[in-house]
Amino acid sequence: MALQRYLLNKSFESKDKICRLFLCNFSSIPAPELPPFDYEPKPYKGPLADEVLQKRKKYLGPSLFHYYQKPLNIVEGKMQYLFDESGRRYLDAFAGIVTVSCGHCHPEIVNAVVEQSNLLQHATTIYLHHAIADFAEALASKMPGNLKVVYFVNSGTEANELAMLMARLYSGNLGMIALRNAYHGGSAGTIGLTALNTWKYSIPQGEIHHVINPNPYRGVFGSDANSYAKEVQDHIDYGTSGNVAGFIAETIQGVGGAVELAPGYLKLVYDMARKAGGVCIADEVQTGFGRTGSHYWGFETQGVLPDIVTMAKGIGNGLPLGAVVTTPEIANVMAQKIQFNTFGGNPVCSSGGLAVLRVLDKEKRQAHCAVVGSHLIERLRALQQRHEIIGDVRGRGLMVGIELVTDRKEKTPAKAETAVLFEKLRELGVLVGKGGLHGNVFRIKPPMCFTKDDADYLVDALDYAISKL
Amino acid sequence: MQRVFRRAFSGRDFLWRHRCFSQLAQSEISIQEKDVLLPKMPPFDYSPPPYNGPSAAEILQKRIEFLSPSMFCFYKKPLNVVDGKMQYLFDEDGRRYLDAFGGIATVCCGHCHPDVVEAIVNQTKRLQHSTVLYLHHAIAEFAEALASKMPGDLKVVFFTNSGTEANELAMMIARLYTGYHDIISIRNAYHGNAAGTMGATAQSGWKFNVVQCGVHHALNPDQYRGVFGSDGEKYAKDLQGLIDYGTTGNVAGFIAEAIQGVGGILELAPGYLPAVYGSIKKAGGLCIADEVQCGFARTGSHFWGFEAHGVVPDIVTMAKGIGNGIPIGAVVTTPEIAQVLTQRSYFNTFGGNPVCTAGGHAVLRVIEKEKLQENAFVVGSYLKERLTSLKEKYEIIGDVRGRGLMLGVELVTDRQEKTPAKIETIHVMDQMKENGVLIGKGGFYGNVFRITPPLCFTKEDADFLVDVMDHTMSKM
Repeated sequence: MALQRYLLNKSFESKDKICRLFLCNFSSIPAPELPPFDYEPKPYKGPLADEVLQKRKKYLGPSLFHYYQKPLNIVEGKMQYLFDESGRRYLDAFAGIVTVSCGHCHPEIVNAVVEQSNLLQHATTIYLHHAIADFAEALASKMPGNLKVVYFVNSGTEANELAMLMARLYSGNLGMIALRNAYHGGSAGTIGLTALNTWKYSIPQGEIHHVINPNPYRGVFGSDANSYAKEVQDHIDYGTSGNVAGFIAETIQGVGGAVELAPGYLKLVYDMARKAGGVCIADEVQTGFGRTGSHYWGFETQGVLPDIVTMAKGIGNGLPLGAVVTTPEIANVMAQKIQFNTFGGNPVCSSGGLAVLRVLDKEKRQAHCAVVGSHLIERLRALQQRHEIIGDVRGRGLMVGIELVTDRKEKTPAKAETAVLFEKLRELGVLVGKGGLHGNVFRIKPPMCFTKDDADYLVDALDYAISKL
Repeated sequence: MQRVFRRAFSGRDFLWRHRCFSQLAQSEISIQEKDVLLPKMPPFDYSPPPYNGPSAAEILQKRIEFLSPSMFCFYKKPLNVVDGKMQYLFDEDGRRYLDAFGGIATVCCGHCHPDVVEAIVNQTKRLQHSTVLYLHHAIAEFAEALASKMPGDLKVVFFTNSGTEANELAMMIARLYTGYHDIISIRNAYHGNAAGTMGATAQSGWKFNVVQCGVHHALNPDQYRGVFGSDGEKYAKDLQGLIDYGTTGNVAGFIAEAIQGVGGILELAPGYLPAVYGSIKKAGGLCIADEVQCGFARTGSHFWGFEAHGVVPDIVTMAKGIGNGIPIGAVVTTPEIAQVLTQRSYFNTFGGNPVCTAGGHAVLRVIEKEKLQENAFVVGSYLKERLTSLKEKYEIIGDVRGRGLMLGVELVTDRQEKTPAKIETIHVMDQMKENGVLIGKGGFYGNVFRITPPLCFTKEDADFLVDVMDHTMSKM
């Protein structure tokens, strides 16, 4: 295994086409092997894939889609691995869409959930309970500036809906600015902010201005933050009353294909939005909780301080939980009326969320993401040198994207190839995610306990799969 | 077993206090009947584990500092609830309370019902989350079980994480399916707190000053305060007027709770829904039944609230009781209507996760196994009867209404004028808590007691509730 890698690296160093061709055609590169894992899943006696798929088709509607031509029946999870109905192990490089932050069924999270479920699942905030208060305090302590009032909700969509409401109330203005290629939710309101046509239904979506995406790879201005920012000012000057309610962005777009905003962009735009009377919202649903490695929150990578931060997904390692954190000043405006969320902040999810914060700290997951993430990106960039089809490798920490193109100059999305490789990776035991408007970006966002060996396996598997194309 | 030993040897005064309390009550039985004695809570063989966490004062401090300033709390002296078992809750001192509110009509099987906890715990240990991108049997099985509880062609399920999400989705589906925009909801309704649902919600206290378009609010077929009394058809005629004059003549849909929850347990006047459903269908719209509070056997006579009105909706939304407290919601509709979402992609990351669907499925089984619907009917009828008798005794009780274990008691200072007795309501509610009964409050004026306990509520519990209310009111 190491020999193969050594040989491949040697060939890359020499950049000798012939040598490379030789090695690629010399199909003695065996399929790589999953890193060992000392765990046996429980025997599965439930319904098999076909039966489940049948029921889904009948009872869950035609709009419910799934990955893979032959859908995968996932019945168990442990840390960064998933197991199917036959007990086969897979490397989970997608974490249930960037959600399982600590690891599937991480013992400390499970304990917290189980313990609390046996005491009190639900009572609502009309009564006191320590879990919500402790969790809010802990979350606030992770926030910079004056961001310390927490609202608990049940999803990222709910969090972004609430953030929009706050922005409009606080500013007294109507228009929101969001980035093209963004994803912020699936409800009618957040569909407006979302800017990918696949996810937008034909319904009224209020005053939303979608600005040019500061996409270093495909964007018309490359990495020139100033030019992108100027366009935002343009929108404000010509498309609005001159005043806006707010600006919202993911620091690294998730659904949009792990696109990291051009450096320096947020600083400029935050300024413009504020000058126009608006508030700045950072959607940390995917980038939060140390995933980017260099910082705890995605927005910190751009050196800005938002007015409102929304989060979900990784916050609970899979528990249905979301949150909005803002300043007391903005929160006060919400006190005009009653704002209540029945399930939000329930004892079980709050206990689970608090356990997640503790685990991430205790296991030094942020640092780990930096180390493993750098290693992963380095190896992927090396892979990029060897395979023309890899147009771009980007991201930070364990939030990585690999964009596949059929032509590096034109950057023509390699949709079909991505689909084929996606399936091949699954056969090799690696589950990745897919994204980007053209579905040609692999999203690598594993549970944060992902190791260097896992990263190596992923890259080797991808190498192997591409070589077989 | 361990708990029994702990109880025997812990030296806690919980048991002693309880015994002392009941002995006192017994010795006063001989006192003349006119005096309403402090009633005795039905016995319950369970002792909560000792609580060593933060106190109420500490928690309140943190809430003020780190949580929403608009977050409110019941009671002058807020209650620190740390443990729950079936229809009882326990505070930081281990004191037991009868939970007649059910965490807002949410805990239907009972706090920490063993079957539901087992399902949750087992699934949590195996797989909490993977998303519907992969298959998992729990979501499929729960959807099938839920569909089997539905009439007509209602058999496609979308899972969400809350009632708000469910109603948002329902409204969007209605607009997409019909191609129209206007939605009609009823004044005094509550449907959620996101942009669209805030529009459908119709009580000023819950509506922020933001743009909420496309919703028309119809006259509330309020049998107690409504201008047409219980004449459902008159109210329905007015709704037709709303369509004729306020819209293009076509609407996307109509949404209503069969019994308004937040609005104060107001059961829609008989004859209203059938007439309205007819008007809406004629106007090309879909009928949405919001079963977030009245669903899942709570009304006793039927499984779903809308069934009591003899209608079949096009879309049904649910949450709260569906999971006994786990964050889950659902939208059920017909295959034909469900097609509309295939126009684009709709996805819910947490929706339908293995743990919540396993829990939800366990809830359905418990409701059936323990015949909770029947219990809601029997105990609910009995409770309503006793409350109605109490109404004879106290002028302040203006109305007793509801169905099954979804009951409301409206307090007024003047029965003719129906002037809301706001202050008295807060006082009685507070006193009842001191005496061991937790109920809810609602209605536009905050003068309605909402009684929506876990469906395992017994006749003895009902007696205790009424006796405590009686005792409290006698002292006013």
